[in-house]
Amino acid sequence: MIKAWRVLRELVRGAAITARHFFVNMTFHTLRLFGIRTRRRGAVTIQYPEVQKALSPRHHSLHRIRPRPDGKPSCVACMLCVTVCPSECLYVEAAEDPDPEVQKLPAKFVVDLNRCCFCGFCVEACPVDAIRMDTGEIRLASLTRAGLEVPLDKP
Amino acid sequence: MNGKKPVGLTIDGLKVQAAEGTNVLRAAEQAGVSIPHFCFHAGLDVEGSCRMCLVEIEGLPKLELACSTIIREGMVVRTSTDRVGEARKDVLEFLLAEHPLDCPICDKAGECRLQDYYDLYGLYASRMIEPRERRDKKVPIGRGLILDRERCVLCTRCVRFLRLVTGTGELGMFERSLRSEVGIYDGRPVDNNYSGNLVDICPVGAITAEDFRFKTRAWFLVRRPSVCPHCSRGCAVIIESVEGYPLRRSEKRVYRVTARENPAVNGFWICDVGRDGRHDIDDGRHAAVSEKGAPVQGLSWEKALAGVAAAIRSVPGPERAGKIAVVLNARLTCEELALAKGLFVTGLGLGKVFFADRKPGPADSLLLTSDRVPNAKGVLDAGFTPRLPALGELAGAEVLLVFGSYILEHFGEEDVARALAGVPSKYLFAAHTGPLDRLVDAVFPVAHPAEKSGTYINTEGVRQSFARAVRPCPAVVAEGAILVCLANSLGISLGDADVR
Amino acid sequence: MFGDVLIILVKVVLTLMWTLLLALFLTWVERKESAVMQDRIGANRASVFGLRIFGLFQPFADAIKMLFKEDFCPTFAQRALHWLAPTFSFFFVSVTMVAVPFGDTISLFGRRIPLQVVDLNAAVLFVLAMLSLGIYGILVGGWASSNRFALIGSLRGAAQLVSYEVALGLSLVGLIMVFPSLSLARIVEFQGGLLFGFLPKWGIFLQPLGFAVFFLAGMAETKRVPFDMPEGESEIIGFYTEYGGLKFGLFMFTDFLEVIVLASMATTLFFGGWQVPWLGDAGFAFPGGGRIGLPPWAVTVLRVLSFNLKVFFFCWLQILTRWTYPRFRYDQVMDLGWKVLVPLGAANILATGLILAVR
Ligand code: SF4
Ligand code: SF4
Ligand code: SF4
Ligand code: FES
Repeated sequence: MIKAWRVLRELVRGAAITARHFFVNMTFHTLRLFGIRTRRRGAVTIQYPEVQKALSPRHHSLHRIRPRPDGKPSCVACMLCVTVCPSECLYVEAAEDPDPEVQKLPAKFVVDLNRCCFCGFCVEACPVDAIRMDTGEIRLASLTRAGLEVPLDKP
Repeated sequence: MNGKKPVGLTIDGLKVQAAEGTNVLRAAEQAGVSIPHFCFHAGLDVEGSCRMCLVEIEGLPKLELACSTIIREGMVVRTSTDRVGEARKDVLEFLLAEHPLDCPICDKAGECRLQDYYDLYGLYASRMIEPRERRDKKVPIGRGLILDRERCVLCTRCVRFLRLVTGTGELGMFERSLRSEVGIYDGRPVDNNYSGNLVDICPVGAITAEDFRFKTRAWFLVRRPSVCPHCSRGCAVIIESVEGYPLRRSEKRVYRVTARENPAVNGFWICDVGRDGRHDIDDGRHAAVSEKGAPVQGLSWEKALAGVAAAIRSVPGPERAGKIAVVLNARLTCEELALAKGLFVTGLGLGKVFFADRKPGPADSLLLTSDRVPNAKGVLDAGFTPRLPALGELAGAEVLLVFGSYILEHFGEEDVARALAGVPSKYLFAAHTGPLDRLVDAVFPVAHPAEKSGTYINTEGVRQSFARAVRPCPAVVAEGAILVCLANSLGISLGDADVR
Repeated sequence: MFGDVLIILVKVVLTLMWTLLLALFLTWVERKESAVMQDRIGANRASVFGLRIFGLFQPFADAIKMLFKEDFCPTFAQRALHWLAPTFSFFFVSVTMVAVPFGDTISLFGRRIPLQVVDLNAAVLFVLAMLSLGIYGILVGGWASSNRFALIGSLRGAAQLVSYEVALGLSLVGLIMVFPSLSLARIVEFQGGLLFGFLPKWGIFLQPLGFAVFFLAGMAETKRVPFDMPEGESEIIGFYTEYGGLKFGLFMFTDFLEVIVLASMATTLFFGGWQVPWLGDAGFAFPGGGRIGLPPWAVTVLRVLSFNLKVFFFCWLQILTRWTYPRFRYDQVMDLGWKVLVPLGAANILATGLILAVR
């Protein structure tokens, strides 16, 4: 009997909480409808495409290869990112550079976003800090798979 | 122990026996204790220049070089004391003081002794504050080899190899002390058939090969042992290929072929012909059964083989001996040759079983033989008497099975075409595409020796068994399987022939 | 004669339209109400020529989407039954609305027209019967899908609905004892009286326990969230696993219809139906002695409005419940049905009988 009472009490409490939220929020919505702007709003929703939140500086967005001062990619095609990538989604093909101080450059550097899990391991593995995930580009969608194989070799 | 007197000694508390005249380093290696070293190579003489192999020997006040100390009865060697550890660390620090540390772009990374030893024995923080000495980073030294003087640790392995093994001596040490460097003499680049070994023996990434340079990384490679099929020496090799990630469909599978140690055959070396054999595995291969010179997608070799069996069956038994001709080759393994014998000679009773092979080429004094096939001895061993067919003998046949397209190396294309024109059913079993494809009814894609397992008998009579080193593409099948399948559909029992 | 048929036809059409529009509206209310409860905004993007009006077009967008989705039917399913099942459910639920009185009688063109499609003399039984028939929709749907999970889901659903029907029936017995009629119109009329001279004589005041049991069992009958064993969309896989597009839409729509039916029944049986407290045919007559005279049309409008408001309140309440409580475990559902509601219902009958006998 006592248990049943408790259950009932909790049920009512639950409904009271949701009902309170409903009425309080409804009040603010109504005020807003009549043009009364209050500091508090009826909802915490961010209307995404129109309003955008600032990305955290640590956010992992689309990769990029940093350029050297002369415009060449700073990647040396060491394939360490390829090695560490847990999704096996990077593809690097190296080419010889005439400059003996550079020697090795990527001829092809493709990240397959179909597979990438945005772990950022590639960024951490890179010995020359060439690859970064700080473009802020998060709208990554395509109608084809090939469209998601993003070439990064032309910085 | 090669007839030499065994000597007993103690290494790290282990009682060890080794042949008289062995050095401490080898004796330890045989006992499973590895001592780090750069300049010592079992196939070369002792130099003692890198100082990496220092060990403690009881009774001697200073640390000794394991590579240049010959074992004595009752010797007590310690390789893992603090003193030895300190010494190794210091030697490494000296070697690495001037090292460019460009592992990211170095082909040796992943199989480099400097990296390994630093990981095992170094792990110190660099104390260099002076700028590094700059040296030439990209010196072509001939035969597609590139020397990077910054990476060189001056072990002189390369110099000694060219002096002692090939006897050509193209490389030498120039200048002295801090300025010493490896180089070629003016206008005399490295040019011998064993240049590829320099890349193998250089303990660091100072000598790299253009063929492999920057193509992939060492740790992506899967290494599997095989036997080189390019001459009758049958050198032991390692086929290094990439399987799966990061391979793309269009790419080659095999990135390089390196030497595998086999004292009975090739010692530590292989020649450049065998090294270039990597192209033979990937280039110009058949990938599907083709008919009339064009590949037929989706036609399995089993189905196509039914046509061959039907053609053979259509020749009445007594006429078979003269009307069915078979051309084999000496790239077949012993097991396949035994099957061929059982099927064609014993089973079908054919009289026209011929052999056509690569033409002999020039031999050299070291490993390469003039016989450019791996299993010439195996052919004799299987009971065949190899004989090149005359074109007339082929023209008279009703059914012709050709294994390998080497017949074109002996006769002109037009002559062969004319001879084959009169043969109603003719089939080719070949690994590589070639002009013969158009002249036959169907071509079956067969496996390259690196893609199958079997046994070769080399020119000295050494039997070497090997297993598949590279996964063949799906439509490709070993000749052995074809022979077994053919025998089954003809109702011929191959008995207990080794069908491995 | 022809006039009668016409009147009935018009009433049927109006009732159906009222029900369907309300159900459509409820899909929007459900989204919005849950959003507001959870500090969200809810669907607000559907627009016609840039006109959004709080996403009110969302139900139409949903309907259009459902219509144009692939009409998928598993290979081994019974095609005809697969189609029939949702129509079954839909039909039997919507047909209950014919028994519900929306207001009292109006005089039009010299006729007295009750605002009710038909005044059945066994309306309560009719409603219960139709609700039970709805089970066939579930059973047939699960069976025709040729999917074990769907079949098990539908059996689960059938067991639950059958159990709660018992409680539902019991809870109404007390009410029928108090208002000695099975006709909904009569029951509503009875509730026009006063209790102790000031309290409207509504079912809720006469049968509080009966109402509690009725409403709980009714919610279980709608098979919505705290009781959604039969579908269990996210975890346990229910009977409409193999449904999509329009057919699925019908099932979902049926759920909302059931919400409306439950709300209407609760209103009609326990909250005086179209009755407005202290409002007589001639106007308000408050217990204290105050009077406000009203013309007949105003009285009718007030009564219809009252019915609608009450129905709407109960719909709102059900949606609030649905978005407040998590789903029961199956054994809990069964326990609640057989060990709590059925005994309570029986006790209610006993108590009612005792009181009636003593009085
Ligand atoms: S973020 Fe992770 S998964 Fe994506 S490419 Fe980099 S390593 Fe690979
Ligand atoms: S991005 Fe960095 S880790 Fe990846 S290949 Fe280029 S240099 Fe190496
Ligand atoms: S190039 Fe290589 S093998 Fe030759 S001396 Fe330098 S480190 Fe030794
Ligand atoms: S290996 Fe002994 S000194 Fe180099």
